[in-house]
Amino acid sequence: MPALIEALDLTKKYGKHVALDRASFSVQGGRIVGLIGPNGAGKTSALRAILGLTAYEGQLRVLGREPFRDRTALMQDASFIADVAVLPGWLRIEDAVDFVAGVHPRFRRDRAAALLAKTEIAGRRRMRELSKGMKTQVHLALTMGIDAKLLVLDEPTLGLDILARRAFYDALVNDYMDETRTILITTHQVEEVENLLTDVLFIDKGRIVLDSSLDDISVRYTAIAVGPDQIDAARAQKPFYERRVLGKTVLYYEQPDMAKLAGLGEVHTPSVSDLFVAKLSGVAA
Amino acid sequence: MNTYIWLVRREFWENRAIWIIPLAIGAFMVLCALFGRADLMVVSSQALGRTVGQAFLGAVGATFFAIMSIYAAWYLLDCLYADRKDRSVLFWKSLPISDATTVLSKLATAVIVIPLVYFAAADLTTLLMAFIISVRASSIVGGALWQGGLWLQIQELWLYLIVTTAIWYLPVTAYLLLISSWAKRAVTLWSILPPLALILGERWFFGTHVIAHQLNVRLFGFVDAAFNANLASWVSANVADNDAIRTPADIWSFLDFAGFFSSMATWAGAAVGVALIIGSIQLRMRRTEI
Repeated sequence: MPALIEALDLTKKYGKHVALDRASFSVQGGRIVGLIGPNGAGKTSALRAILGLTAYEGQLRVLGREPFRDRTALMQDASFIADVAVLPGWLRIEDAVDFVAGVHPRFRRDRAAALLAKTEIAGRRRMRELSKGMKTQVHLALTMGIDAKLLVLDEPTLGLDILARRAFYDALVNDYMDETRTILITTHQVEEVENLLTDVLFIDKGRIVLDSSLDDISVRYTAIAVGPDQIDAARAQKPFYERRVLGKTVLYYEQPDMAKLAGLGEVHTPSVSDLFVAKLSGVAA
Repeated sequence: MNTYIWLVRREFWENRAIWIIPLAIGAFMVLCALFGRADLMVVSSQALGRTVGQAFLGAVGATFFAIMSIYAAWYLLDCLYADRKDRSVLFWKSLPISDATTVLSKLATAVIVIPLVYFAAADLTTLLMAFIISVRASSIVGGALWQGGLWLQIQELWLYLIVTTAIWYLPVTAYLLLISSWAKRAVTLWSILPPLALILGERWFFGTHVIAHQLNVRLFGFVDAAFNANLASWVSANVADNDAIRTPADIWSFLDFAGFFSSMATWAGAAVGVALIIGSIQLRMRRTEI
């Protein structure tokens, strides 16, 4: 099965500023992929290119199409939420449902209606009368009503409180995700999504620095927490990053000799957020 | 086609002024007819009745048409800018609707839908007013509307105006769309600055007035382009000789149908309009945010 998203030397420049610098990556079907990077790393530029919202250089195929040229056709099979606050204030909820049902051939009205019924928000209300959390629920119901193969979420929970964020991700995983779908998500709150991701793409300064499944990460990367007496022995095994935590030092390795690390300290698989920090600030030892 | 219907409905949801303004004007006029001095419309003879009827239809129609023109210009400047400003463009673009379809739906709203709404409002208003005045003042204005197909002629005039203004003003319409699609702020200011800069630049550097002249012809030359010499001579005859107003037998005789549709100026302007619309679509594809 060909990849759902295939990017080769994807480049996006704004004047002299290079937002994406020959980024190459692919996303397979049925996965939940986190696109993770610091501010200004090129996350939003990458998503905009994938969604056909911006012109770009390099090769990019999404669901077998060129996104910028073929955005209309692409949006039959892909949907996105780019920040929750984008539903216009004058739009009534019931009009929004009618509209999407009218223009989108793959919109399943019954499913959207069922999701909206759970929220108990009256359909006559306009978006500007709703709280941010309510707007998210409405937008989510509209988007999840679409039978899309690819769902792209750009900082979907920005500005939401913790309850609304949790509700958002619960709905996403429990009500929406199945093996026919693929989700690509960017967020600053890595801790919040790392339990639901199957793959990660780390991006920094417009380049992809890691493209891996979480299963591979657990095979490939190891962290060890050691006391001061073992630090030299641990450093001898070439960690690519280390940091001090509560009197101990945590060292990060890529494909280390596990036999030599054994016994030096507490060995564990690094979390996505720790690995992200390690990868982006790490200088090869 | 189905998508276009939804997009036009969407415009009605977003811009409720499309029907609220004509409704308000109509309501105000009907109130005037109900409580104003209806005796002003009392006429003694059949011939005078027709003149008064014509003046009445003309005045009401002109009021609606003038306000519609101002509103349509405002709508055009706002339509592609508003959803970039509130960022809802990202929602609209998440649906399988092409940017060309979106831009064309806004153009169609401005040049077809809005004029038809005002046309209907003007018709409804004149009929209601004529009925009220006829009953209140026992005037023959109501009856005069049906003399010699006067009312029917006004319908024809409206349709002729909607079609010809849509074509004649297409470069202006499309230019406003382009600014709406392009500007990051202050759309009204941006709509005025480029032509002003071009006019002044031309004057300073070349000492000529080609652009100013072309703009003048486009903005104020519509009546010359769409109506024939009969209108000018009728106006001058009636303005000069005020006490003997002769009503035109047939408004058709004023319309320069063949002249308008065979004029180079008409189609050159339309071509410029098409180019600017293509530009608006290209900008719409690329600009997702302010």
